[in-house]
Amino acid sequence: MPLLEVENLSLHFGGVAALNEVSFHIEEGEIFSLIGPNGAGKTSMLNCISGLYHPSQGSIKFDGREITHMKSYKRTELGIARAFQNIELFKNMTVLENLMLGRHVRMKSGVLSGGFYWGLAQKEEIEHRKAVEDIIDFLEIEHYRDQPVGMLSYGLQKRVEVGRALALDPKILLLDEPMAGMNSEEKEDMARFVIEIHEERKTTVVLIEHDMGVVMDLSDHIAVLDFGKLIGFGTPSEIQQNPKVIEAYLGEEQTG
Amino acid sequence: MRNPFVMECGEFRASYKEDMALYKIPRVRYRVYAIIAFFAVFPLIFPEYYVGLATLCGIAAIGAIGLNILTGFTGLISIGVGAFLGVGGYTSAILTTKLGLSFWISFPLAGIVTAAVGALFGIPSLRLKGLYLAMATLAAQVIILFVISHWDSLTGGTAGMVLQRPSIGGYMLSSETGYYYLMFVILIFTAIFAMNLFRSRTGRAFVAVRDRDLAAEVMGINLFKYKVLAFAVSSFFVGIAGALLGHYTMIVSPELYSIQVSIEYLAMILVGGLGSVMGSIYGAVFITLLPVVLRGLIETLSVFMPGLEGVFAGLREVVFGAIIILFLIYEPEGLAKMWRNLKDYFKLWPFSY
Ligand SMILES: Nc1ncnc2c1ncn2[C@@H]1O[C@H](COP(=O)(O)OP(=O)(O)O)[C@@H](O)[C@H]1O
Ligand SMILES: [Mg+2]
Repeated sequence: MPLLEVENLSLHFGGVAALNEVSFHIEEGEIFSLIGPNGAGKTSMLNCISGLYHPSQGSIKFDGREITHMKSYKRTELGIARAFQNIELFKNMTVLENLMLGRHVRMKSGVLSGGFYWGLAQKEEIEHRKAVEDIIDFLEIEHYRDQPVGMLSYGLQKRVEVGRALALDPKILLLDEPMAGMNSEEKEDMARFVIEIHEERKTTVVLIEHDMGVVMDLSDHIAVLDFGKLIGFGTPSEIQQNPKVIEAYLGEEQTG
Repeated sequence: MRNPFVMECGEFRASYKEDMALYKIPRVRYRVYAIIAFFAVFPLIFPEYYVGLATLCGIAAIGAIGLNILTGFTGLISIGVGAFLGVGGYTSAILTTKLGLSFWISFPLAGIVTAAVGALFGIPSLRLKGLYLAMATLAAQVIILFVISHWDSLTGGTAGMVLQRPSIGGYMLSSETGYYYLMFVILIFTAIFAMNLFRSRTGRAFVAVRDRDLAAEVMGINLFKYKVLAFAVSSFFVGIAGALLGHYTMIVSPELYSIQVSIEYLAMILVGGLGSVMGSIYGAVFITLLPVVLRGLIETLSVFMPGLEGVFAGLREVVFGAIIILFLIYEPEGLAKMWRNLKDYFKLWPFSY
């Protein structure tokens, strides 16, 4: 059984179809890439999966459960984590606080135990702080842990955003252009992190990325969107030979 | 263990527990103890009049911390604080005089009832933001005051109700000093509770809702639940402040809880610092003492300029407004930030530039 199943999904904004009867599935433990030209509907697809957009038709199943109409915060509880294309960090908070918020649903303490602190809440803070420090070490951002995120460089903010999503211990990690706007060194680091997340944490990763080299290297399967339509779905070699995909990408090059 | 990097020079902490302490630096911790010790002996040193003023400041501080939890930390504006103070005061008044309950039971109940009323009026906050939410809480203010002044059989209508000061173990807290200590204990409890809240899960979620509600939801935070919760927690402290104030002044009546009171509390957290527990206390002291100091000033000046007393009433409002505007323009982060700046200045002194 696939971990995530998207069936016949459509999403409209006014008269525009951002997604048009799209179907694909993602297997547990794979790296799955979603590609396509700008405006193809990739981000919209992730927004449907994480519950920020509500599709006009079709269904999404996660881990065998129908989640199409589930509230966004509940999907997080199921283990769906998300890093955004346009950074959505808590800018005034430190790296640590951002990552601790990533663990929100893994923690329990409420108003009373938090207010009295000693006992349950303190124990919980320490325990989860350890998990968060592991991620901070893994992403090599130790030096910035107490800095407000808004003061960090763009590349580091992207990294913190991935860290915050990772802090959930997700079953599936949705990464929306995590390497966009980075220099090649930062890109390599991020690619390495994605591979390690996949190999060491056994997390299923959904990646949106424009660099075809990276996509072909990392992915087990790829889905290609163009104007909201799925025009290709398969392994990297299948995608490279798909005439529709070739056409879409050549077309893009010709028009600039 | 790790060696946290960006810290005050020379300060390294060996464990997460130490790193997460409220006051991490020993020097700061001792200063906090010293301030608490000073206010613990305050009534033994100062005349009764000042003890009474300090009690009023402290009660206002409890309410201001409550409001700051909602407006400063969670980013939800409320101009219904005046009415919520009233709910606390009236709840305790009704429970003690009509049902004959002890203050020690009616006092926490006043907090709980106000929390419930606050949560109810917080429900629109899921859909309303900014100015619209302000209007909704203004509606709360109007509705609550309407109920209070028209439900004569329960509340005594516009005439209000008379309350008693409480006693503990046969010792009446009717003296200024006795009541001061009651306020003092509850203020310390409130401040510590709030500071703890914001270094643990729920408080962090409140701040997340304020900073970026979309991201907060994707972190798994149920926006509706946490907004209503923020209203409840905030109103609890506003409610116990209202009860404390009612038993202190020994009267509750509708005109004590007008919209002007709501504005004063907003001024406290604005002047003190949004999202700062200590700032709430500074702001409460500032706004409570402002008219007192102004009056003193005018009395002194009127020796030279007779007739100045006549302008006091108007002057008070003008100065009040001017101060709020000045803070908004020059130090939006309030007294708490000014105090931090001052400390930083002296920490680097004499190399301040
Ligand atoms: N919130 C929205 N309101 C209106 N149109 C939107 C919205 N989000 C996306 N769209 C439209 O949907 C289409 C797909 O956008 P998007 O999913 O962001 O593409 P991609 O991520 O592949 O670049 C675009 O035409 C975009 O303008
Ligand atoms: Mg996009």
